[in-house]
Amino acid sequence: MHDDVFAPRRGVQMRRMLRQHPGAALGVLFILVLLLASLFAPLPYDPMGIDGGATLRSPGGEHWFGTDGAGGDIFSRVIYAARVDLSLALAGTVLSLVVGVLLGLAASSKGKGSERLVRGLDAFQAFPLLILALALVSLSGNKLYMVVVAIALINVPRFMRLLRSEVLSLRESRFIEAATATGASPRRIIFRHLLPNVWGIVLVQTSLTVANAIVVIASLSFLGIGVSPPTPSWGSMIRDGAGNMSSGEWWIAGFAGLAVVLCVLAFNQLADAIGDRTARTYR
Amino acid sequence: MTLSAMPGLPVRKARKARGPVRLVLERLGFLIAAMFGVVTLSFLLVSVTPGDPARLIAGPMASNSQVEAISQELGLDKPIVERYVDYMGGLLRGDLGESYYSKRPVTTEIFEKLPATLELIILAVLFAAVVGIAFGAIAAYFRGRAPDWISRLFTGVFQAIPDFFLGLLLIYVVFFLLGWAPAPAGQIGFTESTPPKVTGFIPIDALIAGDPALAGSALQHLVLPVLTLGLVYAAYFAKTARATLGRALHSQQVFFARAMGLPERTVLRYALVESRTTIVTYAGVIFASLLGGEAIVERVFAWDGLGAWALQGILRLDVPVVQGMVLIAGAITLITYTLLDIVVGLLDPRIKHA
Repeated sequence: MHDDVFAPRRGVQMRRMLRQHPGAALGVLFILVLLLASLFAPLPYDPMGIDGGATLRSPGGEHWFGTDGAGGDIFSRVIYAARVDLSLALAGTVLSLVVGVLLGLAASSKGKGSERLVRGLDAFQAFPLLILALALVSLSGNKLYMVVVAIALINVPRFMRLLRSEVLSLRESRFIEAATATGASPRRIIFRHLLPNVWGIVLVQTSLTVANAIVVIASLSFLGIGVSPPTPSWGSMIRDGAGNMSSGEWWIAGFAGLAVVLCVLAFNQLADAIGDRTARTYR
Repeated sequence: MTLSAMPGLPVRKARKARGPVRLVLERLGFLIAAMFGVVTLSFLLVSVTPGDPARLIAGPMASNSQVEAISQELGLDKPIVERYVDYMGGLLRGDLGESYYSKRPVTTEIFEKLPATLELIILAVLFAAVVGIAFGAIAAYFRGRAPDWISRLFTGVFQAIPDFFLGLLLIYVVFFLLGWAPAPAGQIGFTESTPPKVTGFIPIDALIAGDPALAGSALQHLVLPVLTLGLVYAAYFAKTARATLGRALHSQQVFFARAMGLPERTVLRYALVESRTTIVTYAGVIFASLLGGEAIVERVFAWDGLGAWALQGILRLDVPVVQGMVLIAGAITLITYTLLDIVVGLLDPRIKHA
């Protein structure tokens, strides 16, 4: 598929991809709106505020998503929580991406050493990584940057494994052979020939990582680790409403959980869309 | 740079043929090395991170000297190398230390909590496998048509729901709205008492004690947590099953079987056999990742298992408990992987052992 190597400009590519995958387009739109709203939109109530006179109201005209046990407005809190939840998820993803790609490239040789390293990664991934992440953040005294580190801890091995397998198979291909034959330096081969070709799958993994990070952060704050009150986060709101689920007040945990599910769906859809495109261009 | 081996691709060394004995020995050797790595890493990660367990145990009102006394009692004042040697020494004797809070040996607690978690995980994997493979098979068979779309919609949604949130939703719908499941308060009801311990698995112990009503109640209490984990992991199963079966349905065996005019049922069976190893492997991987991965779901259902125990240990900075959990989960995972490697390798002669 040599015509596709000279792909159209990025913007055109992007638009075409979103048209073919309405789910991904909707997802991206949802995330953007949520992010902008959390940053700039005037919220109907103070997200940190409580109102002892209006506790456990069900969703309605006055409080769109109802109120929690302390009288906090669920709608304002769900929107506001996107700030800390999404930015932590993105920070964790960027760290995983950078460290994972660099280490993955370094591990992409065919020697014994790199095979041992992969075996070591197997052993590391045998850890109950979520438990390990929880322990790290909790033992360090709930520092927010440790949440970012914990996300990287879980996701860096995935990036490494992916990059290694992809680079190892690409190295067999004709154009790398050709580049080597023309005397290109290893650095040129890596940056001009290998990286542009693994970019697609790296992007897919990045999108999946954001989704994973959102779940990890929600799990952490569901347990009271990481983001601490009164700052609203989706996980801690689910925790607040967990007990109410068996007494019928579903909206406290429900809307926060819905926000998590929609964000994860959005990034999964985006990953699918990028994956489809990548598959068509390179294979 | 490690890419230096790339130009010119040296002639590959011929792989030596390896017998099954050698394969098993190699895997066991790796298992031991990996266990050592797991233990060391877990010790380092948990011991080096800042945060002072002694201060947490002493409480916010304690004076510095009280904190020091506790720190001394727990052996936290010793240098890290000495602590590591102590820990490894204890490990060789099968001693994982004592919980800071309950003061009981960690190994005793692990064996107490393990059955509750195992019954949950095993049932969840079974449920996930049956439902997931069924959905995946339907999607693969009707690829691109309505059943495929519906199956993929379900998988997509269930993959996006965090398991603990799905648990809460099920509590709301099945317990509160429908009243079909008992209250999410552990393995048995509030008023019931645990049967005398024989196997540690409550439904089985209740039967042994001659109390079918209690066994029934224990099974009812299993429904929601198993459903929660089962549904989430069924989605993963379905995705994998769809991909592998889809490939198998386009394999030469299947084309040949169709050309022979064999009934569709037989053809499907061939495709299933073709994708057997992948699916078995996947079940093993899911079993391993559930160990520890289901901790939060245990907490949601007040399940008195290993996961909830480890979470409590984490929240209270109970270092020996956390290390014990990482160790036991790492060990079971590695053993599962090793068994899988050996079983799959011996079953399928096409697999080369790198």
